[in-house]
Amino acid sequence: MAEEKEPVIQVKNLYKVYSVGENRVFALNGVDFTIYKGEFCSIVGTSGSGKSTLLNMLAGLEKPTKGEIIIGKQHIEKMTENQLVKFRRERVGFIFQSFNLLGTMNARENVALPLTFRGMAKKERLKRADKMLNLVGLNKHRTHKPTQMSGGQQQRVGVARALVVEPEIIFADEPTGNLDSHTSADVMNLMRDIVEREKLTLVMVTHDTHLAGFADRIFHISDGKILKIEDNRKHREEVEDEQV
Amino acid sequence: MKLLDLIKMSISNLWRRKLRTILTILGVIIGTASIVVMISLGIGLNKSMIDSVEESGGLTTINVSSGGGDTMYYGGGMAVSMDASASGSGSNEPVYLTDEVIEQLKQLPHVTVCSPVLSTSVLAKQGAYESWLQIQGMDLEVLDRMNLPLAEGTMPEPGSSELKFVFGNMVIQDFYNPKSNSGGYWQTGELPDVDLINQPLFLIFDTDAYYQSQDPQSGIAPPKKYIGQGIGLLEGGPEDWKQYSYSTYCDIEVLKTQLKKIFKGKVIPGQPTTSSGKPRKELVYNSAYVQIDEMDNVMDIQKQIQAMGLQAYSEVEWLEQAQKQYRSIQAVLGGIGAVSLFVAAIGIANTMMMSIYERTKEIGIIKVLGCNMNNIRTMFLMEAGFIGLIGGFLGNLLSLLISKIINYVVVAMQGADMAGTTSYIPPWLMLVSLVFAVLVGMLAGFFPALRAMKLSPLAAIRTE
Repeated sequence: MAEEKEPVIQVKNLYKVYSVGENRVFALNGVDFTIYKGEFCSIVGTSGSGKSTLLNMLAGLEKPTKGEIIIGKQHIEKMTENQLVKFRRERVGFIFQSFNLLGTMNARENVALPLTFRGMAKKERLKRADKMLNLVGLNKHRTHKPTQMSGGQQQRVGVARALVVEPEIIFADEPTGNLDSHTSADVMNLMRDIVEREKLTLVMVTHDTHLAGFADRIFHISDGKILKIEDNRKHREEVEDEQV
Repeated sequence: MKLLDLIKMSISNLWRRKLRTILTILGVIIGTASIVVMISLGIGLNKSMIDSVEESGGLTTINVSSGGGDTMYYGGGMAVSMDASASGSGSNEPVYLTDEVIEQLKQLPHVTVCSPVLSTSVLAKQGAYESWLQIQGMDLEVLDRMNLPLAEGTMPEPGSSELKFVFGNMVIQDFYNPKSNSGGYWQTGELPDVDLINQPLFLIFDTDAYYQSQDPQSGIAPPKKYIGQGIGLLEGGPEDWKQYSYSTYCDIEVLKTQLKKIFKGKVIPGQPTTSSGKPRKELVYNSAYVQIDEMDNVMDIQKQIQAMGLQAYSEVEWLEQAQKQYRSIQAVLGGIGAVSLFVAAIGIANTMMMSIYERTKEIGIIKVLGCNMNNIRTMFLMEAGFIGLIGGFLGNLLSLLISKIINYVVVAMQGADMAGTTSYIPPWLMLVSLVFAVLVGMLAGFFPALRAMKLSPLAAIRTE
C-alpha cells in the first residue's frame, strides 16, 4: 500500500534544544518520519514529551535546532518569517485547543478571516465560509458570536476555518482538549469524515490515547524521541465492524 | 490583504475600545488646536501688519531719491571723505533724478510704473490764514493708480495748464493766523476757517523774496502771488492719519511749467546747482515713485536701483525686518502648542501599546492563520494614524471656533479696527496641521506596530 503513496511531510533527524540556565534540554532528540498524502496521523505523548514542539516546527512556528523538514518539496527550516507566513496562509489549516476564534467576529467572519489575508473579495469569501459552515453543520449559527456558542460549536467553527483555505495539511493541537468526551467524539468523527472525503492530510497532537485511536497511524513520542509508529487502520476497522 | 479590509479592521478595532480611543483622540484634538491657534495668532499679527502696510501705500512700491543727497544737505564729513576718494576730478556729483534717469528706471525689469515726484513748498494764503504747503507734483496716471480715496471734488484732469490741487485730509490743520496769538489747530483744537475747495488760495513760490519784502527797509518788492485752485479733498476726518494726510498733490507737468516760468533764470528753491552756483539745465526731481509687479521682486529691484547710485527705500525692507521678529514670536507660540501635541503623541503610543498587550492573542492567531507581517504593522499604523486624523480634523474645527472667539473678544475690547486680524487660520495651516497630526500619530504608533509585527505567534497563542 505504501509503495504508491506520495509523501507530504518528511522529517529527517530533527533536533530541538532549549537552554535552560546551564542545562540543555532536548525537546526533540533526533526524530525521523514520513507522513503521506491523505493520512490522518496522531502524535501521542505525555506533556513534556516534545509533541507540541514537533507540531509547531511542522507548522513553521518554531525553528528547529538541527535537521530537515520537507513539506511538499519545500524545506521549512530554511524559510524566512515572511515565507513561513505565506506558506501557512496558502497550504496549511490550523485547529487549536482553545479554538482561538476572534471574539469580535461572528462565525462567518471568523471562518472567512484566513481568506481575508489572501486578499479575497468579501462576497466570495463569505460564500465560501457559508459553504464550510454548512459542511460542519452550523448553518443556523452563522451570525453567532463565539460567546453565543457551545464549546463543540466553537470548535466546529474552528474546523471550518481550517478547511476554508483548502489546505494540503491540517494541523490540530489537542483539538478536543477543552471539550467533554461526548462532543470530543463528535468533533473527531467530523474531522475524520472530512479528511477522508477531501483527501486531506491531518496531523493531530494529543495526550489522549483514546482520541489518538481515531487516526490511521499513531506516533508515540516520549522524551523527544519516537518510540513506535502504530498502524491503526486494521484495528480501527475491527472496532467499526464490532460497532456495526 | 486588501486595503479596504485593513481599514475596516483598524476602524473596528478602534471602535471596540471606544472610551480609550475617544480619550486619546481628545489629546490629539487639544494638541492640534493649541498648535493651530498659536500659529494663527502669529499669522494674524503678520497679516494685519501686511494689510496695514498695503493700505498705506503698498508693498510693491519703491521710493527713489537722488544719490548722495544726504551729503548735500547735511554736509560735512561725508562730503569731504567722498571728495577725497573721488580724487578731485569733479565727477563726484551725486546721481540726480533727471528725466534721463527716470527713463533708465523705466527700463528696469518688473517695473510697471515709474513716476518722478517734484515737491516744493509754497506759502499759501486765504483770508487771514496762511500755511506752508508741501506740494507734490506727480504723473496724473500714477496719481490715479494710487487710488486715493476722494471725499469730495475730482482728481486733476490731464491737459489743464492751471495748477489744480488735491488736498490730504489734514492739510487744513496747518493753516494758522499769524496775526492772532491763539496759535494753530494744535493748541486750540479748532479748525481754521479755510475753505480749500470753493475759495481760491494765493500761493507764493518765491518765499525768500517774500520774507525779505516783509522788511520795509530791504526795498524789495513782494513777489507775485499766484492763484491755486483746490479741486479735491481726500477722505478722512481731522484725526485719521493716513500716508497722504498732509500731502497736496498736483499734476507734475503743470507744476514744472509753472516753476520754470516763475523762476526764469534763477535757481528754483530745493534744486541743486552747478558747481558755480548757476541753475542746472534740467530739473532734478526730489524723488521717484516706482511700482514693481510683484512683492518678491521688490528687494531685487531696490538693490539694482541702489547700484545705480540712487537711494531707494521700500516698505518691504522694513517689513522683512518686522517679519523676522514675528517669525520668532510665531516659533515660540508654535513651540508651546507643540508641547501639547507631543503629550498627545505619548498618549497615542500608550494607547497603542496597551492595545497590543490586550490583543496579543489575537495578533498571534492572525499570524498563524497567515496574515502578512507587513499587514499587521500597517493595521496598527493605520489605527494610530486614524487617531491622528480624527483628532487633527476635530482639532482644526475646534481651533476655528477658538479663533472666532479670540477675534470676537479682541474686537469687543479694542473696537472694530482690529476686526478679523488677531487670529487668522489660512487653509494651508489647516491642511499642514492635519497632515502633521496624522504623521505624529503614525510616528507614535510606529514602535508599537513594530512590536506587534515581531510578536512570536506561538507565545501569542499561548497567552490566555
